[in-house]
Amino acid sequence: MKKVAFKINGRLHQFIIEKDDVLIDLLRKDLRLTGVKQSCDRKGQCGACTVIVNGKAVRSCLTKVAELDGAEVITIEGLGTPKNPHLIQEAFVLAGAIQCGFCTPGMILAAKALLDKDTNPTVDDIKKALRRNLCRCTGYKKIIEAVQLAGRFLRGELTPGQVRPDPKHGVIGVSHPRPSAMIKACGAAEFAADIQVTGAGELAAVHSPHAHALIKSIDTSTAEKMPGVIGVMTAKDVKGTNRLKYIVPDRPILCDKKVRFIGDPVAAVLAETREQAVAAAQAVNVEYEPLSVMMTPEEALAEGVLQIDPDRPNLCFTQPQIRGDAEAGLAASAAVVETDFSTQTNHQAPLEPETCVAYLEEENGDLPTLVVIGRSINIHYHMSMLQDAVGYENMRYEEAYSGGQFGIKIDVTSEGLTAAAALHFKRPVRYVPSLMESMWLTSKRHAFHMEVRLGADAQGKLTAYAIDFTVNNGAYSSNGTVIVNRALLMLSGSYYIPAIQAMSRLVYTNTTWGAAARGAGPPQVNYALESAVDMLAEKMGIDPLEFRLMNILKPGQPKSTGRVAEQWPLPELMEAMRPHYHRARTDAAEFNQKDGVVKRGVGLGTGSFGIGGPGDTATVAVELDPDGGLTVFGAVADPGEGNDSMLTQIAAHLMNLPMDKIRLVTRTTDRTTAAGPAAGSRITYMLGGALVDAIHKLKTAMTEVNAATSEQLRAAGKPTRYLGTKKNEDAGPLDPQTGQGPSFESQVHAVQLVEVEVHTKTGEVRVIKMTTAVDAGRVINPKNLEGQLEGGMDMGVGFALREIYIDGQTKDWVSFKFPTIGQSFEMETIIRETPRNKGPLGATGVGEMTMVPTAPAVMNAIANACGARVRDLPATPDKVLAALSLARG
Amino acid sequence: MERTAQTAPARQELGERVRHIAGREITFDGEGFLWDPHQWSEDAAVALAGEAGLKDLSKTHWTILRFLREYYFQNGRSPLNRQIKEGTGISLMEMEALFPGGIKYGARRLAGLPNPRNCI
Repeated sequence: MKKVAFKINGRLHQFIIEKDDVLIDLLRKDLRLTGVKQSCDRKGQCGACTVIVNGKAVRSCLTKVAELDGAEVITIEGLGTPKNPHLIQEAFVLAGAIQCGFCTPGMILAAKALLDKDTNPTVDDIKKALRRNLCRCTGYKKIIEAVQLAGRFLRGELTPGQVRPDPKHGVIGVSHPRPSAMIKACGAAEFAADIQVTGAGELAAVHSPHAHALIKSIDTSTAEKMPGVIGVMTAKDVKGTNRLKYIVPDRPILCDKKVRFIGDPVAAVLAETREQAVAAAQAVNVEYEPLSVMMTPEEALAEGVLQIDPDRPNLCFTQPQIRGDAEAGLAASAAVVETDFSTQTNHQAPLEPETCVAYLEEENGDLPTLVVIGRSINIHYHMSMLQDAVGYENMRYEEAYSGGQFGIKIDVTSEGLTAAAALHFKRPVRYVPSLMESMWLTSKRHAFHMEVRLGADAQGKLTAYAIDFTVNNGAYSSNGTVIVNRALLMLSGSYYIPAIQAMSRLVYTNTTWGAAARGAGPPQVNYALESAVDMLAEKMGIDPLEFRLMNILKPGQPKSTGRVAEQWPLPELMEAMRPHYHRARTDAAEFNQKDGVVKRGVGLGTGSFGIGGPGDTATVAVELDPDGGLTVFGAVADPGEGNDSMLTQIAAHLMNLPMDKIRLVTRTTDRTTAAGPAAGSRITYMLGGALVDAIHKLKTAMTEVNAATSEQLRAAGKPTRYLGTKKNEDAGPLDPQTGQGPSFESQVHAVQLVEVEVHTKTGEVRVIKMTTAVDAGRVINPKNLEGQLEGGMDMGVGFALREIYIDGQTKDWVSFKFPTIGQSFEMETIIRETPRNKGPLGATGVGEMTMVPTAPAVMNAIANACGARVRDLPATPDKVLAALSLARG
Repeated sequence: MERTAQTAPARQELGERVRHIAGREITFDGEGFLWDPHQWSEDAAVALAGEAGLKDLSKTHWTILRFLREYYFQNGRSPLNRQIKEGTGISLMEMEALFPGGIKYGARRLAGLPNPRNCI
């Protein structure tokens, strides 16, 4: 033991500590300064735990308390409060640099350490100072801008009041700060791991080291006797179905008979501390009988192999799509490109671990309520899944602040085990999985293999598209069928293609299970289509921009599902991009005259992303409050997109109220409408649409009885609460034989221009600049919109060039190749606002859009730079060199 | 261990099912819940109850079913069990016993309340 004394946020503390105690534990556990976050299992990879020690930004997970005697420590709580924020916190809020908010405290403190030394840093200085801080949401652009803005505040050139938008100048189309931004900037937003739970046991799981094996026996006797252990549970202790049924009931909370991928949970330990639980979990002895492993669809589709799921064949879903005669179209084409493309299994990579809390809330004389607090983006649906899986109906789900998700929370993750443990042990349970465990507990982006043929006539008009694609479903189904259908619903991308012939196959394997990931299907198939479009343009000697322009779908023409589009404002985006494209081409040509080993290239990609899918329905309630304000009720998850801004600004605008008179109730199943998932970029379009409808009903009632207040409404016999709905009446599944049928009600469109440099000796690719032109209808909050575009571009480049999840190998942010601020690039956005006929105030969604055209644009730019056509993502240096070698013959 | 015949199934377990109940077409999801609560009628509830083994719907049954529907159209979701108890004055254990399948798969289904939606 050792005694140390040092200041934390200005107050002197004395601590008697163990020599190996680290600062993050002292701050989070002992002092409950939970603005300090942790993501990377204390490896110093994420920077979320950054604090300032003696003026320097340090990672508190790597800082020994024993070395801090006499030091001065500043955490985010010592910087400012929501009512009295520091100028840097103000700058982050006003710059739109805060999305999920999980990285924010660390970012702000790293920025403070820099700005304390230099209030006018260069972009390179900022990148260097923040190089250890990861962000998955923003693409880093607005974080850099926030540091620059903070510098201007600190230099006295500008005040926050001069930057903050004046509500007098309007509500819609103005970048009012997000309602939740300041509490995130001050570290006051409580994520699930930050919630104090008296008497909570800490949970740790036992995961399978095998990809496919029978469970012969589980010996928990040693673990049960270990210090602090409250108990050990296995599948027999889960009282419900023990199956998490998103669509089909195939995924166990705890495996009973066999394991199907590396990381499958087999048992769980509850102990007084997390360390004790982890130690005991390691002492659980599981005897396995290994089975043959099928890691690829090819292996799983071979004759006579084992069936992975007892109730479904390995080829678990197929869906064709046929329109016209594609074979005849291809045969008659003047030019055809025939090739294949593959995409990787990838992690969505939210920074926050899959933390969850569950406890039993006592009821007077009746069954207690099981309360689950987690990261869900669809609390009502997930609660329903959990009720069945754990065999307990009296339940409530609360969404904590959530550190990003990007599709990963379409399905239940750690909540299943946490809820089951709370019921089994009858104790409050906290489950804070490690980063590696979080990777095991969650879905991944599906790997696709796509064989394509694309043809055009002599004038360059597309004639036919044939694609066979096989999707690695992984070990469990989750929403795999939805991913396949979404790929088919958007198969023809931005174009009118007269004839389509597609076949899709979804295949169980023994890899980690796939599900939603930003874009959820279209990013994979659009990579194939947009790459083929570029290849065909090159083959025909037509400029890729002109080739795209002549083939863009026009209103009145059908999409691949046969449904005719009403609006398709994409040519205008192409025209807006034209001068940037020509400037980039000129710059690249000049650069390449140097004849060096580094070649510059320019690539285009387009995307047309459907929103408001077949039969999609959303409901929101509003209530006029006694003080004249309005409360919005709806399970509108906000893991970082800014849905709180959207609801607040639409409601304030339509009710002509100040924004602080709009109250949101969105996070608990107790009080919200079942609004569907925060997925598919649907929240603004669907929930915003339902909100507009609800307010319309309220205002109609107020007008009918000439009421201005809730009291007057009640006096006139009218309710003060109104339910609004938004529904896509075009409902039902695709035809099982032709894949024709209902489609999305709206589309968001984008054109992406990428400028890259390719080192032709090493294969390294550097993105210099990305310009995106987007039409998402009327813009409600420009900075929120830009934030989605910039984050999507950064994620898209990660998908294109670096990121991959490999079972058994990917274990942390370094092995995942998480994009850093050092790899961030210049971004420019061009916004057009074509009002959507059925969108709320003319808006549609945007969250996933830039993920869709980015990877093909990067690949097209690489090909333009040096002739290397990479057909297998990610385009790592070895693949670029191989493609270059192939191109050179 | 089962060995697989490599043929894909038809669209199993995924689609909606349309049935004729009490003289009208009603669309159900894969779990037997109504897709659209507006397609419900009291006659449909009686017919569905019969299928579930309930020959008669008592006054208490109807109290619960009417509460469920009223709550749904007021709040845009099914009530939590605790809220049904508060709204009807009937204990959860009594409700569980009244409906084959319990509250969720019994009462809520007979009341024509849809399941929460997953992604499209």
